[in-house]
Amino acid sequence: MFLINCPYCGERDQIEFTCGGEAHIIRPKNPPDLSDDQWADYLFMRKNIKGVQFERWNHSNGCRRWFNVVRNTATDEIIKIYNMGESSPTIKGNEPKTPSGEPKIGSGNISTTFEKK
Amino acid sequence: MLKKEETVLFKKHNIENYSKIKIEEIQNIKKINLRFDPNSKELKSITSKILDIIIPTIPNTYSEKEKQKIIWLGPNEWLIIDSEEKLDDDLLNKSLGDENASVTNISESKTILRISGKKTFSLLSKFLVLDLEKNLSNDHLCVQTIFLKVPILLVRNKNFDNIIEIDIFINRSHVNYIYNILIDGTKNLDF
Repeated sequence: MFLINCPYCGERDQIEFTCGGEAHIIRPKNPPDLSDDQWADYLFMRKNIKGVQFERWNHSNGCRRWFNVVRNTATDEIIKIYNMGESSPTIKGNEPKTPSGEPKIGSGNISTTFEKK
Repeated sequence: MLKKEETVLFKKHNIENYSKIKIEEIQNIKKINLRFDPNSKELKSITSKILDIIIPTIPNTYSEKEKQKIIWLGPNEWLIIDSEEKLDDDLLNKSLGDENASVTNISESKTILRISGKKTFSLLSKFLVLDLEKNLSNDHLCVQTIFLKVPILLVRNKNFDNIIEIDIFINRSHVNYIYNILIDGTKNLDF
């Protein structure tokens, strides 16, 4: 549970809000020209970063407005809140960090593949 | 809708002093949801002229004149409350036209539970994730929030004799649920 600073209503509890997933996904200009894979990529494929992520949020139990949030998904630290339509801000230090300062390896921060013997 | 004998809590629980707490349903109030583009000066002036009240643009506030209130719900959405039921929503609808505006009468779908008394904030704070002392610090403030998964609108009315009075706007279908929870909440308030 954490607090989100709604651009209209001010600081409110997270349960008043709904997360709308990844922000800044641009609709292709000519969908009929796309292959099935490209269209599926636009529709369904979303990042699930452990670290700083750009998200859309809606104050669903308040003013019902949409806005963008830059959030660290590991710590729930909200780095920036900005209005819909604005371009994404540059965030320095886009490194995954955890409250306990755990190492990257073994914490899920690096994806590893295993070969079958 | 609540039965009449169920509306007054202090009678039901033999609480003699009115200043403790009182819950009642307020009926026969016209409620109109109004939406239009806030950047349109024309629509704003038409609305203000018909209603004869300034439309609030500051979030979580309301403006009031005699028996009418206009409550801010969002940057392009307001709730008009008319206790005398004199407001003609058809006239408002025709005057605003079809240009990015809508007037919806929601009198039947929403109802009002009025809580008053010195322990009002203590009772409500049991169920809300909101700092009431901050968000409803004085009259002419309102706040939309969630009451155990039910979306509600809280409006603080003018104080009389230092008694806090809050109107809870809820869907009619939720009123019994919230009323019963509030009654449960009063049982261990320190009277």
